[in-house]
Amino acid sequence: MKQILIGLLFISLYQPVFAMEHGGMIMDETGMIMNANPDQLPRDCPQISENKDITIHAGQQYAEKFTGKMFAFDTQEWNVKPCAKINITFINDDQIRHQLMIHGLPGYLYPDGMFHLELNGTGQLQASLILPSQKKTYLVHCELPQHMEKGMKAQLKVEGGDGDLPSIPGISEPIKADLYNTNWNQLSYAILAFSILIGAAIVLMSVIYSEQLTRLLAKLGAKLKRNSPSDLH
Amino acid sequence: MAGAIYIIYYTYPHQYNKAGINPPDTIYNQAKDNSNIEKPCSNLHPEWRAAQVIEDVSINASPDCEPDNPYEVATSVRGTNNVSMGTLMHTDFAQDALIMGEDLDKDGDPDIINIKLEVVELNGSSPDGEFLINTFDVAPGIQPGLWVYAPKSRGMAVKNYNSLVSNPLLRAPSPVIRVEQGDKVYVTLENTHYLPHTIHLHGVDHPWMTAKGEDNDGMEEHAVFPGKSHTYEIQPRHVGTMLYHCHVQTAQHFMMGLGGMFIVEENHPNNWLQTFNVGAGVVRHPSVAVKKEYNQEYDLHYQSIDKKLAHIIQEANDPRLVAQHMARDYNMTESFENYFLLNGHSFPYTLRDSMIISSENEDIKLHVANFQRSAIALHIHGHKATITALDGVDLTQAQQITRDVLDMATAQRNDVHLKTQNDGLHSYGPGLWMFHDHVPTGTTTDGIEPGGNMAILAYKALLDEHGMPKMHEHLLDQVFNKEYYAKRQAVWTEGSFGALLGDAGILEPNYLQMLLFGAAIGLLVGLFVLLILVIKRKFKS
Ligand SMILES: [Cu+2]
Ligand SMILES: [Cu+2]
Repeated sequence: MKQILIGLLFISLYQPVFAMEHGGMIMDETGMIMNANPDQLPRDCPQISENKDITIHAGQQYAEKFTGKMFAFDTQEWNVKPCAKINITFINDDQIRHQLMIHGLPGYLYPDGMFHLELNGTGQLQASLILPSQKKTYLVHCELPQHMEKGMKAQLKVEGGDGDLPSIPGISEPIKADLYNTNWNQLSYAILAFSILIGAAIVLMSVIYSEQLTRLLAKLGAKLKRNSPSDLH
Repeated sequence: MAGAIYIIYYTYPHQYNKAGINPPDTIYNQAKDNSNIEKPCSNLHPEWRAAQVIEDVSINASPDCEPDNPYEVATSVRGTNNVSMGTLMHTDFAQDALIMGEDLDKDGDPDIINIKLEVVELNGSSPDGEFLINTFDVAPGIQPGLWVYAPKSRGMAVKNYNSLVSNPLLRAPSPVIRVEQGDKVYVTLENTHYLPHTIHLHGVDHPWMTAKGEDNDGMEEHAVFPGKSHTYEIQPRHVGTMLYHCHVQTAQHFMMGLGGMFIVEENHPNNWLQTFNVGAGVVRHPSVAVKKEYNQEYDLHYQSIDKKLAHIIQEANDPRLVAQHMARDYNMTESFENYFLLNGHSFPYTLRDSMIISSENEDIKLHVANFQRSAIALHIHGHKATITALDGVDLTQAQQITRDVLDMATAQRNDVHLKTQNDGLHSYGPGLWMFHDHVPTGTTTDGIEPGGNMAILAYKALLDEHGMPKMHEHLLDQVFNKEYYAKRQAVWTEGSFGALLGDAGILEPNYLQMLLFGAAIGLLVGLFVLLILVIKRKFKS
């Protein structure tokens, strides 16, 4: 609370309005919006197919439903139609900085192929973008060091997407997986011993009944030969 | 059969063998590949070297290969709230990284200072593949896992979307912080990391609790958890070179890099301080008091890394595994120091941004802090320097000692007056004088010499236009090569001595010996099978 009060004090005393535009970027005390695109149609889109409002929460608390993660978005996957316009409300529930970046967008509309929202702390931002018609899976993540690695990773699919990205919490496996301890107990050792016995028994039995087995196999072979299509001619 | 066993014994193929009359030829490198040789200086921003004025902040010249970004310096002086958008865009600071407030004593400089620090993992692991992310090389090819405090930043943490390299604000060491005596300083820790941390203001005058009655000493039981922030409040009455560091799992977190210098400067009118000295080293905008007595000012942050501890964050991604491996599986009492850094770099990278560069007859102020787990014995070749303060307390004229080895235990600080006056005592004249920790491990990188915290006190005339030492081309080519620190390169490869001291070649296998050995084994196996058959037949009959 104190920080908020100090912050307000400074905003009111020293910088009445400090929102600035720089290239495709809007930046102020709360954060920044880069490469928002509410109206430019991609070349392959005659018109906007659907208007989709998406609210995305970011925060440490959203990692609690997963194991082995620390930061996350509240949703890990969104599906939209080709040429959809998405209106994103990005809410940061933490006291630290988080980002929402979408990568792989067409460079002629989004410099560096990137759409980027950033909140300096608790707060919210709104921005829109229009997706091309291509069937594709886009990476959505927070790029702060170790945030994506620790769970702040999601995917946006156009027309079902072209597959899953790796290590999306609750959706896909990592490429480089951690190693966890395994609970080998007495039961597993008993099963191991039992299976060794079975294996040995199979060998023993086949030696003892070798004659019968050979006969059985010969019979089976003959039967197979008779049924095989080459004999039909 | 006995004969076969005898042959096997004498022809057994050993890894190392005698060479006979002529030992093998010299091979110069075991890796003949030259593609790993780096340019000593990439000369990315030559325009940053000149003395300049940005946002009315005068910034001293810095002839280094990699000078501090002058826009970063200007923003560190004025605050992120007092510079233009254009200036801020030349840096990676967040817009609220450093908010300068009111001039309480009306002496022409701000006295309410809001500093925001984040916790950054460098050379960390990724579940998305066998690579490290947010990389920061401390020496060619050397990427130990590190944690640092960093001024709150914005945008991409890597240089660009196709890069894994950290942006320039995210680096070791944790930045030097400078404030004025009597300033109301609010240091906010925004814990962007996945483990809890704190800030403990070691030696800095601070009340034990904040005005609201919350923790103000950064103790373990008041850890700031991931996603949370906490503000520490200080109004230091005493000037001097102090520290800040994490006090959660202190042994490990301190060794991971969570510590920096915190310097309280005297109060003077119009004393706009360079709040952050990112990457330590030269202070391009010194305080009023320092400017009165000295020509230049440097911050020297000595730090060591235990490679096994540092590797823990690279071998697991799950925060629970990292916590367990670091806090319980790893035993800090069995720790070693393998890398030795000056201002975040080991030699030869120290030549790029951590030389002391001087003319003759200069007075230079050094703030030296020891963040290693072991003591350091700092020796500046060709000079004897004077200790003017210990652990942030000034020494009287009579207490001051002039000497050539400065010994400092862990966490101790020396303020040092270095003179480049060629009088046979303070300086023996111009040169490219090395300065380094004289503890023998200190100048090695995982045992490879020259490395570690080796750096140079360079007289300007002996530097080239990129700020690199002249007359050292051969050495530079040798050490700006990750093959050298990967221990795949001979040490002396110069001229005709290359053949005498290069790597001894390897022997070709003795094929006759192999033939005999194989034949003998075959013979033995054959005999053994024959024996079994004979026994079996006997048994049946
Ligand atoms: Cu984040
Ligand atoms: Cu810590």
